Amino acid sequence: MQQYVPKSFEDRFEMYRGLANERPAVKAGREFLDVQDAFLSEYNSKEITDFENIKDKENQIYIWQGDITTLKIEAVVNAANAEMLGCFIPNHNCIDNIIHTKAGLQLRLACATLMKKQGRKEAVGRAKITAAYNLPADYVIHTVGPIVQNNKVSSMKRDLLAKCYTSCLKTADDHNIKSIAFCSISTGVFGYPKEDAAETAVSAVKTYLAENESSIDVVFNVFDEENRKIYENILTEERS
Amino acid sequence: MKKVANYLWVEKNGGEYTLIMTPELQDDIGTVGFVEFTKEKEVEKNDSLLELEASKTVLDLASPLAGKIVAVNDKATDEPTLLNSAKAEESWVVKLTDVDEAEFNALADA
Repeated sequence: MQQYVPKSFEDRFEMYRGLANERPAVKAGREFLDVQDAFLSEYNSKEITDFENIKDKENQIYIWQGDITTLKIEAVVNAANAEMLGCFIPNHNCIDNIIHTKAGLQLRLACATLMKKQGRKEAVGRAKITAAYNLPADYVIHTVGPIVQNNKVSSMKRDLLAKCYTSCLKTADDHNIKSIAFCSISTGVFGYPKEDAAETAVSAVKTYLAENESSIDVVFNVFDEENRKIYENILTEERS
Repeated sequence: MKKVANYLWVEKNGGEYTLIMTPELQDDIGTVGFVEFTKEKEVEKNDSLLELEASKTVLDLASPLAGKIVAVNDKATDEPTLLNSAKAEESWVVKLTDVDEAEFNALADA
């Protein structure tokens, strides 16, 4: 069968991404992995932000706007779903999709191993850690956030979202990880209202750091201007 | 006496504490399709009592109290929707003993 291969690099990448997204969690040959890793390591090496360059002595909590897959930090948090195998929808614009795409197929295989061992779906509010493979980060910490319908945040969902942050931080501390970047868990397709989520995120992180005397540096990664302002407002209000 | 914590009712009868699904919890999770109880005989506060898969979420249900598990609602393993029942005798989760009474008293009243 002859497959149409687009001309431009961008179109070719989109085709590759879609195929990678659909690929089930089955092993690949060394030859394929070598080509994939060579490509991804070059592709991912562009426009990397090194957390060490943002870091300062005064702060333990940071806001950083950008694409989490370009951040060089010890751990990045992925907003996963209950299957925890990465997004299978070709080219879907969610963080789970881009993290798995840019990490490479090894990430799905690593998740599949963890999930097989667990033998059932992943509950909301927990955290699982894997390597980050071709991402600039060292680890990916996967957590499933609560799903909110019609903007109705019950107190249980608020507690569960806080638990996501706490579980990720605990997992990071258990692995002696010194820096972690959170995406805005549950605020994408899971429908959690952004402002409400940010308040819970900030308060859960602060409570955890204080109660556990943890020295881990925490980055709230925001993708757009709107979310950046939300986090800035919350963090400045709390400082004043 | 009845208290509420971790979205469960805690009903005290003598030295036995029955944990029961609250309507609020049932609303939040939707129809329960799968449950697996913990195999532990003793739990600390916030240890998992059961994992459930429901129409709206997958949830790890945590114990609001430390204690010994003397009974679990085994029927719910075969018929998970029992946990959606409005009747406490169907939607109970576990029964605990050896609970610190002060800890129980400190929970919010139902």
